[in-house]
Amino acid sequence: MKSNHKIKDFGIFALPGMFCFFAVVIIPFIYGVYLTLTDWNGVSQTKNFIGLANFAGVMQDKQFWSSLLLTFKYVIVVVILVNVIAFGIAYLLTRGIKGQNFFRAGFFTPNLIGGIVLGYIWQFVFSRVFVGIGESTGWSLFETSWLSDPNKAFAALVLVSVWQLSGYMILIYVAGFMGLSEDVMEAASIDGASGFAKLKNIILPLMMSSITICLFLTLSRAFMVYDVNLSLTSGGPYGSTEMAAMHVYEKAFTSRQFGVGQAEAFILFIVVACISGLQVYLTKKQEVEA
Amino acid sequence: MKRKVMTRVIASALTVVFMASTLTGCRFGFASDPDDPNEVEEKIPIDTSTDTFEYDPALSGTSITLLNSKAEIQVALEEMAAEFEKKSGVHVEVMPVTDGDSPYTKVVSLYNSGNPPTLSILDTTDVIALAEEKAEDLTAEPWTAEAQEYLTEVNGKVYSFPLCIEGRGLIYNKTVIEEALGETFDVSAIKTQDDFVALLDRLVAAGIEKPISMAKEDWSLGAHQLQYIYETYDGTSEGAQTVIEQLKSGELDLDSYQRMTEFLNMFDILKKYNVAKGDPLGADYDEMAIDLADGKTAFWFNGNWAWPNLEEAGAKTTDEYGFLPYFLNNDENDFANQMIQGSPSKQVMMDGQMASEQQKAAAKEFLNWIVYSEIGQQMLVKSCSLIPPFKNNPYEPQDPLSRDIYQHVQDGTAFNASAIVPNDHWSILGAAMQKYLADRCDRAELTESIEEYWKQQK
Repeated sequence: MKSNHKIKDFGIFALPGMFCFFAVVIIPFIYGVYLTLTDWNGVSQTKNFIGLANFAGVMQDKQFWSSLLLTFKYVIVVVILVNVIAFGIAYLLTRGIKGQNFFRAGFFTPNLIGGIVLGYIWQFVFSRVFVGIGESTGWSLFETSWLSDPNKAFAALVLVSVWQLSGYMILIYVAGFMGLSEDVMEAASIDGASGFAKLKNIILPLMMSSITICLFLTLSRAFMVYDVNLSLTSGGPYGSTEMAAMHVYEKAFTSRQFGVGQAEAFILFIVVACISGLQVYLTKKQEVEA
Repeated sequence: MKRKVMTRVIASALTVVFMASTLTGCRFGFASDPDDPNEVEEKIPIDTSTDTFEYDPALSGTSITLLNSKAEIQVALEEMAAEFEKKSGVHVEVMPVTDGDSPYTKVVSLYNSGNPPTLSILDTTDVIALAEEKAEDLTAEPWTAEAQEYLTEVNGKVYSFPLCIEGRGLIYNKTVIEEALGETFDVSAIKTQDDFVALLDRLVAAGIEKPISMAKEDWSLGAHQLQYIYETYDGTSEGAQTVIEQLKSGELDLDSYQRMTEFLNMFDILKKYNVAKGDPLGADYDEMAIDLADGKTAFWFNGNWAWPNLEEAGAKTTDEYGFLPYFLNNDENDFANQMIQGSPSKQVMMDGQMASEQQKAAAKEFLNWIVYSEIGQQMLVKSCSLIPPFKNNPYEPQDPLSRDIYQHVQDGTAFNASAIVPNDHWSILGAAMQKYLADRCDRAELTESIEEYWKQQK
């Protein structure tokens, strides 16, 4: 009788969700892994099993490894900047300054604009507005378009991503700060804790759950960056800012090496899954209850 | 009270932002607003009074699809389809390829979902990749006789319909040159690279400091410029293929290949007189059209597809624009210095796998209608502004760029060579060319990356 209920509940509540999850995530994923073992070109009727030849192709694709390295560089810079900035701003915006709701909305807005649009807007800013400023002021920093120099183009990518992602993280950190118990803070003040000591010993441990979420979100979003990359620099100048996700797409659809592209996507997945898994495990351990 | 102050602050802040955006808008110069309601869309009237085309009544009621990868002719194609439906009863659904999707990717995904378009407009390389697997054999179609030299064959069979001819070279603005030099400009007097440099120097002396615009886009550098080294081998597609085969096998040493050196010499000239010389990779494509139309520059390396951009930048169809060849050396008799490259770049492929016999017949009728009916002929040229590859089409294109290419084709001063290169050629070698354009590598490194690229191709 009881087990009957269980089956019925499962059928009503879990089955539809599970069905969708399998249909759009698990099955395509397994099929994708299977495709890495074939020579399918996306068109032909026949798929021949070729073992690990595609992975050998990945090993030879120097461009992939350099774009993966670049992605690591990008992820490290973006994750640190986004979280530090978002944490700082969120701290300021929960201290009751005037117009803080207005500011919260303002900082969040960039996140509402899609990455593609954002990329085009900033492309205009970097290659026209900045150059215009450079021409009229003579500042050498703005004399040429940032997007035509590999290092500055990378900086531009980081800048735009940080600008976009921070707003979202601010929101989560603000929620975290709001949840901090006033009693604990007051007790700390009475005990004579300085601002920094309060931050280090009380605020940070209590904020750990927000930090876990924010780190996870920034990590995975930074690793998978594609839209801003495409519309802001499209990998340029001369392919120097092509991130891993973009390289995978180019490999599969522009070079039409579906097998190798799919294998690279799979490798990228494993890298991202391991790193974010490790991060969640490590930060979860730091979480405490008030 | 506090509230009021806050509102006022926000309001004034917003005003400042809007003011600033309007001001920058003026300063950086937008082309004419495409959504301006006062702008009257000029339409060239199509004469539908005579139509001697014979329609097959049995096909009436059939529905076919056409995948369009030339966004600029979407509206014109829809009009064509409507006109064709009126006459034949066959419904043609025109599906656009959205921005960001490549036509090939779109077709492949449609095939994989079991719902391919009956007809699709593709690039020649795409047709070759798909032909034998998916396409209908069109060798026996009557229109093949009208476009003899523009057919693409795969193992001796024709799988695609050449939709238009596109040409490229150095676009010049005749009025600008004449105003600067104070004399009439005779294109035919420029016969060699030296003549061209002399002209550039005179323009510089006359006040046009940097007379050339050169796009930094990888498709322009990697496909349109670099491909001259294959296509000028002897001015035929077969010749281009020969060069490519030799590069693949490693037989050809690019450092000693004459055309490569010549090409780079010309490229260096363009680089030297480039309006964006200070920051060549920061050049903006839309701005180039504005510069050419306004007379800040006199030349722009591009093709006749650039007309919509020029028109948006203020050029009129009555203005005088034309093409100069991509001068490779100082030999007046070298065809490369006399002729413009013009070849069929867009091809219509017909699905031979999933379409029903009825649909195939209707699609074939549509293609024949474009070639043989008076209405189809007119619409191809006037509504779509394409250069027809079909000899029997008596209509001339309207815009100056297409008209010039058309004239070259008619006069026999166009060479039809298109190199069939792998699909990532433009992107990978375009990046190599960008590096050379920005002076971040020398000739040796560039030629090495080209050779390296070809060796990896199987």
